[in-house]
Amino acid sequence: MSEAVVVTGPSHPGGEEIVHAANPAAGRLLPGLVVGTPVADAGHDALTDAVVRARPGFETEVAGRVLAARAVRLDDDGAVVDALTCWYLRDVTEERRGSASLVRAQARAQFLAEAGRALHGVLHLDRTLRTAASLAAGTLAPTVLVLLADGSDVVRWARADRDGARPHTGEMTRADLRATPRLHEALTGRAPVDPWVGVELAELPVWHEPPTDRVVAVPVPGTVVAGVLVLVGPDLDDDVLPLGEEYAVRVGTALSAAALYREQAHLGHVLQASLEPPPLPDETSGGLLVGSAYRPARESLRVGGDFYEVLPRTAAGRTPFLLGDVCGKGIEAAVLSGRVRQSLHALRLVEQDPATLLRLLNVALLDAADLDAPGAAVPMPRFATMVLGDAESLPDGGSRLRLATGGHPPPYVLHADGRVEEVDVAGSLVGALRDAEIGHTEIDLAPGETCLLYSDGVTEARGGPGGREFYGEERLEAALAGCVGAPPQVVCDRVLQLLSDWLGGRDHDDVALLALQAPRGRHV
Amino acid sequence: MTAPTTSTTGRRADYLDRLGASDEEGAIAVALAALDAGLDVETVLLDVVAEAQREVGERWAAGSWTVVQEHIATHISERVVSAVARHRPADPPTGIGRIAVACLDGEWHALPARLLAEVLARHGWEVTFLGSSVPAAQLAVHLHETGPDVVAVSSSLPSRLPAARRMVEACRASGIPILAGGPAFGPQGEWAGAVGADGWAPDARAAAALLENTLPRRDDGRVDDVSREEQALLQTRRPELVAGLAARVRAGHGTDPLADDQLADDLGHLVDFLAAAVYVDDPGLLARFLRWVGTVAVPGGLAREELRAVVEDLVERLGDSPRTVALLRSEPVQEACSPAAAA
Repeated sequence: MSEAVVVTGPSHPGGEEIVHAANPAAGRLLPGLVVGTPVADAGHDALTDAVVRARPGFETEVAGRVLAARAVRLDDDGAVVDALTCWYLRDVTEERRGSASLVRAQARAQFLAEAGRALHGVLHLDRTLRTAASLAAGTLAPTVLVLLADGSDVVRWARADRDGARPHTGEMTRADLRATPRLHEALTGRAPVDPWVGVELAELPVWHEPPTDRVVAVPVPGTVVAGVLVLVGPDLDDDVLPLGEEYAVRVGTALSAAALYREQAHLGHVLQASLEPPPLPDETSGGLLVGSAYRPARESLRVGGDFYEVLPRTAAGRTPFLLGDVCGKGIEAAVLSGRVRQSLHALRLVEQDPATLLRLLNVALLDAADLDAPGAAVPMPRFATMVLGDAESLPDGGSRLRLATGGHPPPYVLHADGRVEEVDVAGSLVGALRDAEIGHTEIDLAPGETCLLYSDGVTEARGGPGGREFYGEERLEAALAGCVGAPPQVVCDRVLQLLSDWLGGRDHDDVALLALQAPRGRHV
Repeated sequence: MTAPTTSTTGRRADYLDRLGASDEEGAIAVALAALDAGLDVETVLLDVVAEAQREVGERWAAGSWTVVQEHIATHISERVVSAVARHRPADPPTGIGRIAVACLDGEWHALPARLLAEVLARHGWEVTFLGSSVPAAQLAVHLHETGPDVVAVSSSLPSRLPAARRMVEACRASGIPILAGGPAFGPQGEWAGAVGADGWAPDARAAAALLENTLPRRDDGRVDDVSREEQALLQTRRPELVAGLAARVRAGHGTDPLADDQLADDLGHLVDFLAAAVYVDDPGLLARFLRWVGTVAVPGGLAREELRAVVEDLVERLGDSPRTVALLRSEPVQEACSPAAAA
């Protein structure tokens, strides 16, 4: 096809611009163009505008075709008023469509890649759902709704009304879907999405205003979840549907991963909650003041082999307490520490004397270890060291502590004058031998005096200038001596902070501190 | 920001008195009386408690209070915050969003973050308070489990900035914006952007105001590979540097274990601040620390007169780290070593 040419210029010097000539090809591209008529009447505004403004070219759409024109001045001798201009026109529809579709394909690929990253960054079901709605809003359709069923009775939804806005979320029960059987079916994940599901959706209590635009539902496939991606007012000329389907696949995998993670995390949480040191009583009715600090070796786990607890005052007027250390680290150690605490809770029903209690616990642990499956996949730790005891108020406001220990570092007493004294009590490992040696003693705390129980993770913390030195008893004693007058929680915080400085971010064993203080009486 | 009225000034002075007397019950009584007199929770927490704690921090930094006194005061203020929260519980969340509030890994001062948590709860946020010294791994686990809209991290010590980076990365991976707060991020928050935080607020009020709108996502921060490498090297060589520096600057080193520990502590902090300064590539961070050295007399601690020798020695030992050396030789750092530059 030969190039289309139109010649324009003044009808006479200084006269009106008219169409001087046009070849047949130009006639086909610009229908209605009549040679000899004024350009202004040619019926093609883009041409008129380009002539009047003496543009170097123009692009216009005529009858669904995209035309590109460039101008060539015929006598460029400076006499602009008389100049004729030759317009070369080309049909560039295919070219433009080609590059536009390339740009669209790139944009789609980029959208999907970014969506994948954003969706998989969080393993949280509701957040993934919100992300799924907000990422698509503005790209797939102005408003996007994502509905999700995860096997329970609850159907969650998230709706984003425009690009960048915080999505709205909510929940329904399956019973709420009685009026929308097609959606109910789609959310079982067993059947393909019925094309007529869109009609039902307006009834759902998920809209700010029920949609008036066209509604398209795309299934969100998943292994453990089923969902529906609803696009409100999508531009259907724009290949939105295939893109929406691809997007829905990514949403489905992300939601499934989040749902699986949630189950695992729940399992972990329940275990963790049962193994974490229980919170200390805010005020022990016996008047004893208590404080504690705890840093497990694996901090993201939040539990470890060290354990402590302070129980409510017994009918006999004693406040039982306990601090111990299971040989081993991590969840296995935490499981044994849980067993120790539960055994003690049961044994306390029949025995209150700390030394006798510890002997009974020793036997209980040995018996339990015999019951453990031999050659279990995960070898379980079986020994523990601990100090356990109880406190009783004295008439002068002080406290009498009964202490029993098996294989544990002896506690310290911080006197009111800053002296630090080690309690003289020792015993052997609990859970190792049937005739374990259990040490026991009694000490009195004067008002304001503090007894500190600690695990060997404190004294055996390697750090300091060279990074290999033990923190040691001497530094612990010095740290404690600096805490005269401090409430027990502050004593623990202070020691833990000094210890962290000593560690300087290095790995450490489980660390536990429990401080017991006889109240100082009223402030003056 | 509302200007504190004379009544809050008076109450703050009373409160500070109670802290000075280690009187927990008295401090709680001052706070609750302020509430009953009509002050709102935010005013009591920020203009009485937080302002008094700032004063406590200044007394400690100036050496007029011991570290244990400061700890006791902070402990009492934490109890006061609990008592205030019990006395005037926050209304249920309004749906404005969910936020996780955490202290940087290695930051043990939980009170500012705790105050922020209480203030945000009163602005309608659903707040989870993760406590002091939250390891990045624990934050990541929390983000996966609860999926908050925003994370706020608090820290007072700039030497913890490299740890901030790991927390920022945990948030980035989850696409959750992160707001930084506290003096660790610079007097004007200039280091918050450097580690890639999406916003910075000097205090709880500013944070609440900032969070009214969606945080704009910032870029990844200006920490580059050179900074990262040199900071990591300093962290690895820390024990060796501290031991070498101690022997070099102190003639009697090795004779008094307690003085040795104190000097090692101070030199360790100096190396940490140097590493943080290299990390965000700002000599001003180290200079601020150096100006503070020696203002509190601690037996055996690093003295101002020893600073110049320390910096010279570091330049010698760290010849392989060009950015570190340039920073040590920079004008602000050199000037901060002079005896006259004490804060």
